[in-house]
Amino acid sequence: MWRWLVIAVGVLTLSALSGVGAYQLVRPAIERGHAGGTPGKWQEIAWTFPRDGWPAGRAFRCASCGGGGVELYVRPKIGFCNCDKGVADDDEVDRVADLDLISARFAPSEAGKAVHVAGLAGRSRFYNLKMQDGAQHAAIGIALSHRCDLLVAVAQGNATPSELQHEALEYLASGEMHRWMLASLGGR
Amino acid sequence: MSGRVKFAILAAVSVACANGAAAQQQKIGAPPESQNMKLVGYSDLQARSAYQPTIHRQGDRYIAYIGHHGGTDDIPMPLNPLTGNAEPNGTSIVDVTDPAHPKYLKHIPGQEGKYESGGAQMVRVCDGKSLPKGDPNAVYMLRAVGSQGHEIWNVADPANPVLVVKLGQGLKDTHKNFWECDTGIAYLVSGVPEWRTRRMTEVYDLSDPAHPQKIRDFGLPGQEPGSTGAVPTELHGPISLGPEGNRVYFGYGTDKGGFLQIVDRNKLLSGPKEPTPENLRYPEVARMPMSAFNGAHTVFPMKGMPIAEFAKDKDGQARDIVMIVDEAILNECAEPRQMVWFADVTTETRPMVISSWTVPEASGNFCERGGRFGAHSSNESMAPVFYKKMAFIAFFNAGVRALDIRDPYHPKEVGYFIPSITEKTDKRCVPVEGKDRCKVAIQTNNLETDDRGYIYIVDRANTGMHILEMTGPARAVAGLK
Repeated sequence: MWRWLVIAVGVLTLSALSGVGAYQLVRPAIERGHAGGTPGKWQEIAWTFPRDGWPAGRAFRCASCGGGGVELYVRPKIGFCNCDKGVADDDEVDRVADLDLISARFAPSEAGKAVHVAGLAGRSRFYNLKMQDGAQHAAIGIALSHRCDLLVAVAQGNATPSELQHEALEYLASGEMHRWMLASLGGR
Repeated sequence: MSGRVKFAILAAVSVACANGAAAQQQKIGAPPESQNMKLVGYSDLQARSAYQPTIHRQGDRYIAYIGHHGGTDDIPMPLNPLTGNAEPNGTSIVDVTDPAHPKYLKHIPGQEGKYESGGAQMVRVCDGKSLPKGDPNAVYMLRAVGSQGHEIWNVADPANPVLVVKLGQGLKDTHKNFWECDTGIAYLVSGVPEWRTRRMTEVYDLSDPAHPQKIRDFGLPGQEPGSTGAVPTELHGPISLGPEGNRVYFGYGTDKGGFLQIVDRNKLLSGPKEPTPENLRYPEVARMPMSAFNGAHTVFPMKGMPIAEFAKDKDGQARDIVMIVDEAILNECAEPRQMVWFADVTTETRPMVISSWTVPEASGNFCERGGRFGAHSSNESMAPVFYKKMAFIAFFNAGVRALDIRDPYHPKEVGYFIPSITEKTDKRCVPVEGKDRCKVAIQTNNLETDDRGYIYIVDRANTGMHILEMTGPARAVAGLK
């Protein structure tokens, strides 16, 4: 009798873990640095920002991108989007794209534009970030919607805005990142 | 033990463990769950998703005005049996003079659109005779129309409302307005296109509702046009204590990064109006940031509450309290718990949270029932029957919860009511492995009380409006016989 109970509990535990396993399935390839257009180009690094209203996302660094490397921060924001309108305007990119994680002092350098990445529609916008040490960085904020949810990304570094955009969008559109993004938005 | 018996036990254990919570899911035909609260009457509200109920005494009648969210994917425009037409959700008008037999009088269609993109979710009502320049024979209903603007209707004959004026058109969004019936000052939650947020405040003088006068725009520094950097959390709604109290309490946020902002009303109305950071800060008395995990849907002020425990203290026997209610927005507990907080604002510039309250999840396995679980809103009536004694909190799939708040340092539940679902109750879904997994549960969204002691709760998932009363020992808390 006890043997059967133990088996039953085991089966249930394995079932519960299967969902988590599916979500994690896509991570190893990214962590080996094979997710970008160029194998090994992007390396996952620690998410160093303090806890805020959303769970931590994922951070990546491309040392060879631009003139001095580019960092990319990505995370889902579940239930933070107009379900019908999606990312409606540039103000919404200002509000949601996590630029304030890097610096609360940011200013758009030009109007944003519509983007489509990995089947998700949204907007991107270029910014100038003023860091605490007085340095200024270019950055791009990206907000993509899926139903009532958002996938946001911010890339910054010593690169031109167009380089930032190219590298960030290319990496987000890569197969492994695409799968992780969809999994993080509920698997759809 | 035979193989068949073992298999049966294994299957039973598996099913019981995997679906233990399913036993808690609501079923059509099952009775409501309740304690010290009783159903008095019911209206299905034409199976429209309901947001704000406002109960207004008009002469000898009590009229309920209910704002609706937009339609659903399945039924974008429900049928209005009174007209025979499919109509986009708007405002329901129900005669609740006899609460046991509410009579549906009228549906005023709202903006086409689904969920929060349509409808006419917010509604406030003032008598013309109480407004300084109103038509004394009129009763005015102010409503938000979808995301686009606001309207005022004359509902003196609630079965035959007449449009008076439209205002604030072309907005990004609207939400939970407030209207002072004795002065006409209205705080409209709007999204003025140039502002960096979907929801801020347009302050209007609606003392003559037929001729609205815009006073100013207001919001948090960083939300104003032309600003840069981080954008503070958007507004949810204000409540004013009018010229006598000289304070307006603003709640910002839903389920994240909220603020309670206390504003000097005189400075807000008469101060410099250009939306510069300095001018936006000028009327602010205090701003209390909440946790990144919680927002402020409703901020309900209760000044001068005598605290029995402090009665013998030489100072501080009475406290100014603000009840802050968060809003849960995600289904099946996919976010930090949204609940109720009490802040002591006696020293206004140093507000401090002193207590909190939530429904114990395990008391109903609410995270497994489907839909949202958590707080959303409270009653806002300041009628003496319940004010500073009891508060009613809409808790989505946990129904309405009645709290004894006479000691806000130690709020305690004295009753609850979770309505039954019906065949009209809409499903709520979560993504599981790429597909929607849906459940049907009550979603008590908002509520209001009247001066007779009835409690009106409305459902976001199309179940309608339930009119309730307190029973048993809980009536004593409010001093009801």
